[in-house]
Amino acid sequence: MGLFILRRFGVMVLTAICLTFVVFFLTNLYPNLEKLAKTQGNARMTDAEVASWLDRNGYGGPLILRYGEWLGVVPGWTREGPEGEITGRCIDSDTPADIAPTFCGLLQGDLGYSTVSDDEVSNIIGGRLALTGKLMFWAFAVMVPAALIIGVLAGMREGSRMDRSLSTVSIASTATPEYVSGVIFIVLLASSTTGLSPWLSEMGWIEGRTLFLGSARSAMEGITFWNFTLPVMTIALYGMGYIARMTRASMAEVMTAQYIRTARLKGVSFRNIVLKHALRNALIAPFTVIMLQFPWLLTGVVIVETLFNYNGFGWTLVQAASNNDIELLLACSIVAVFVVLVTQLISDIGYVFLNPRIRIS
Amino acid sequence: MTKTQTQGLASHPVAEMYAREYKDGKLSRREFLVRSTALGVTAAAAYSMIGATPAAAETMRATPPMGGSLRIQMEVRALKDPRTYDWSQMANVSRGILEYLIEYNADGSFSGVLLDSWEANEDATQYTLRLREGVKWNNGDDFTAEDVAANFIGWCDSTVEGNSMAARMGGLVDPDTGVARDGAIEVVDPLTVRINYPAPDITLVPGIADYPSAVQHRDLIGTNPLDHGVGTGAYRITDYEVGVQARLEKNPDHDYWGEAYLDEVIFVDLGQDPAAWFAAAEADEFDMTYETVGEFVDLFAAIGWTQSEVTTAATVVIRPNQNTAPYDNPMVRKAIQLAVDPQVCLDLGINGQGTLGEHHHVCPIHPEYAELPPLTVDPDAANAMLQESGHADHVFEIVSIDDDYRRNTTDAVAAQLRDAGFNVERTVIPGSTFWNDWTTYPFSSTNWNHRELGVIIHNLAYRSGVAWNEFGYSNPEFDALLDQANGILDAEARSEVMAQLESILQEDAVTLQPYWRSLFRHHKAEVINADMHPKFEINVHYLGVEA
Repeated sequence: MGLFILRRFGVMVLTAICLTFVVFFLTNLYPNLEKLAKTQGNARMTDAEVASWLDRNGYGGPLILRYGEWLGVVPGWTREGPEGEITGRCIDSDTPADIAPTFCGLLQGDLGYSTVSDDEVSNIIGGRLALTGKLMFWAFAVMVPAALIIGVLAGMREGSRMDRSLSTVSIASTATPEYVSGVIFIVLLASSTTGLSPWLSEMGWIEGRTLFLGSARSAMEGITFWNFTLPVMTIALYGMGYIARMTRASMAEVMTAQYIRTARLKGVSFRNIVLKHALRNALIAPFTVIMLQFPWLLTGVVIVETLFNYNGFGWTLVQAASNNDIELLLACSIVAVFVVLVTQLISDIGYVFLNPRIRIS
Repeated sequence: MTKTQTQGLASHPVAEMYAREYKDGKLSRREFLVRSTALGVTAAAAYSMIGATPAAAETMRATPPMGGSLRIQMEVRALKDPRTYDWSQMANVSRGILEYLIEYNADGSFSGVLLDSWEANEDATQYTLRLREGVKWNNGDDFTAEDVAANFIGWCDSTVEGNSMAARMGGLVDPDTGVARDGAIEVVDPLTVRINYPAPDITLVPGIADYPSAVQHRDLIGTNPLDHGVGTGAYRITDYEVGVQARLEKNPDHDYWGEAYLDEVIFVDLGQDPAAWFAAAEADEFDMTYETVGEFVDLFAAIGWTQSEVTTAATVVIRPNQNTAPYDNPMVRKAIQLAVDPQVCLDLGINGQGTLGEHHHVCPIHPEYAELPPLTVDPDAANAMLQESGHADHVFEIVSIDDDYRRNTTDAVAAQLRDAGFNVERTVIPGSTFWNDWTTYPFSSTNWNHRELGVIIHNLAYRSGVAWNEFGYSNPEFDALLDQANGILDAEARSEVMAQLESILQEDAVTLQPYWRSLFRHHKAEVINADMHPKFEINVHYLGVEA
């Protein structure tokens, strides 16, 4: 088991290196650097000004060396200005040139500097991740129980009317991506001129002008039912259908197994058959699927956070990409690799406990 | 803020002449105001010269009650050295701490902020700036002529990358060294600065009222105000998260020279999508917009917000670049102009929210605007001309940024060219990459902001070889006439030269410039002095909320 985890960890480091190198390579293509110079310097700089800006800010050297600087295995660049002032990768207002370290990269725990936010990446990414964590937590808290209940109810009696109607609902929800369902939710529930809200408000059933808020910005300070329902529902709905479909298939299969038939012939009540005999076996497959949902949710939050103006990790990723903020984007990719591989690891380990027939290593 | 204390000029010989022209009906009231206040006459005096009640900007501004908090929807971009600001939004945040010498009012007049008064000599080669007394920096230092001189020297330094103030300083910059000319900036006494131009120049006042001209402390030129927080304004920045929000609060440790009403101002960044702004307005996330665009103008009005509108010289040009074939052929450019009806661009591009342009980039609200014969639109003639030019088979690729009005306007142009028989291809580029090559696209659309004088725009964009000349336009005759216009204070004379400049631009078919945009802002009914400004300026010192 220890060896397995170690090997998984090795894979994770390798994946992170490959991915960050690809991101580094793409963000350092010359047109992207030009864009960076223009967003940082002046939107209407001339080509000569762009070249000099890039050179002065350490984007001039060979790509592989700069990647090494970011990793922390190559000394950070330094440069002496015309008036003798020294600038460099590891030098800023808090650490002047004489005390600045030679290396300052990922290995030294320095995630670098975000050009668009004008701040250290490490200062930014923590708070943003916490916000996304809250969103993910609530999305899971809604999605997983709802999906399991729907799946189990549908799979209990395959082909029944309940199965068909619940299956239809889950297919519909899986087939509706976040950017569609989010917009529909806003129009139906969060507009004071269309949808349900004007009608409800006329009837005097709601106090405010809208049933829910179409912007989750206020949720960053304090989560309420009013401001957080729509983003959570938008994320949860998409994943819910998929998990429910998997649970249903697994449940339906278990319900046709020999031991269930035996139990029925013995006269065990249907309720007990489902709860005591079928459920545990039926939940093995959904467990993996639920863990697989983490990476999917990462893409979901990109859309939902942008749509609802919730400044979390997904929103940061969009900002970093659209502004070619190289080091912020690299940090985002590391986080993404970490989340994907750790959830896979948990899924593999959890599998062993749920199904004793499976051995790893 | 008690602007009425401003001790400007009561009169000026040239302003007297303008007043006569106004009375003869040769000048509009707005033109009169721009010109006379640019010479240093106070708005009140200017109004009295033409026998109008002094209903200038200061009296139009209500006095809000003290206290309160206001949230403004606006992009929060990273601050930097103010000289290199490229977005009005940056200045709107820093205006809470860094003030300006002079400000441009929505009615077209200029009034002093850190300046008490200013005056130009008769041929506009020498300007005397008198500083407001009793202004202090929030670090305790006095605001003196040394500060102003240091800022002027900083503005003139064209060796600083992205310093757009250097272009606004014109003749003060020595073309050989790239920095301020010797003797151009003179400190006369602690409260007086004299600016000496080698040749007449009328763009000084508009230049130092523009958003990159924020006045920094004499020792802090070239620094980011966010790093030091030193300024003359009544506020301080307590929280600044790019892309998220910026928070200003009234600085309790600073004795501000004027009045500031709000205790707290929060700039809320909701991205670039107006639909997201509207959703957030419904969710009560802010009290006033930075700018409302397109269909959202009607939508914000529909949810009961107060609308404020201002006519401006902000516009879009859809221009071929003459350095690229086939646009080096004047016939092709002429054919393009003949095929496009500005009215259609106005209707489809911005819902008719504006006034018609005449393809020469001088707006009727500009002081030197000269009326030319109306444009002709004739798609058949355009097609004939295109055939004759021999480029009928050329595929005209028109590039635009991916946004609301610029894309729609460019689409309207493309559709009309197609109707006239051109072979057109449209390319839409995302906002994040569009500006990389904006001056060199063969045929593309660009938005241009409002500028106070027609000559300012021509100097910035149409003179041969200047950085922002995206037209690839180079005409020695035009440049010579423009030099001439730059030195003329007299209205009628400059207008005559301008008429020639305008018709040269039309004859050379330099660009399509179909309309002038009206700008809109919406705010809740209780917000005071939140009127739209032609240059998007928000001065947090004036804002207030009704209790």
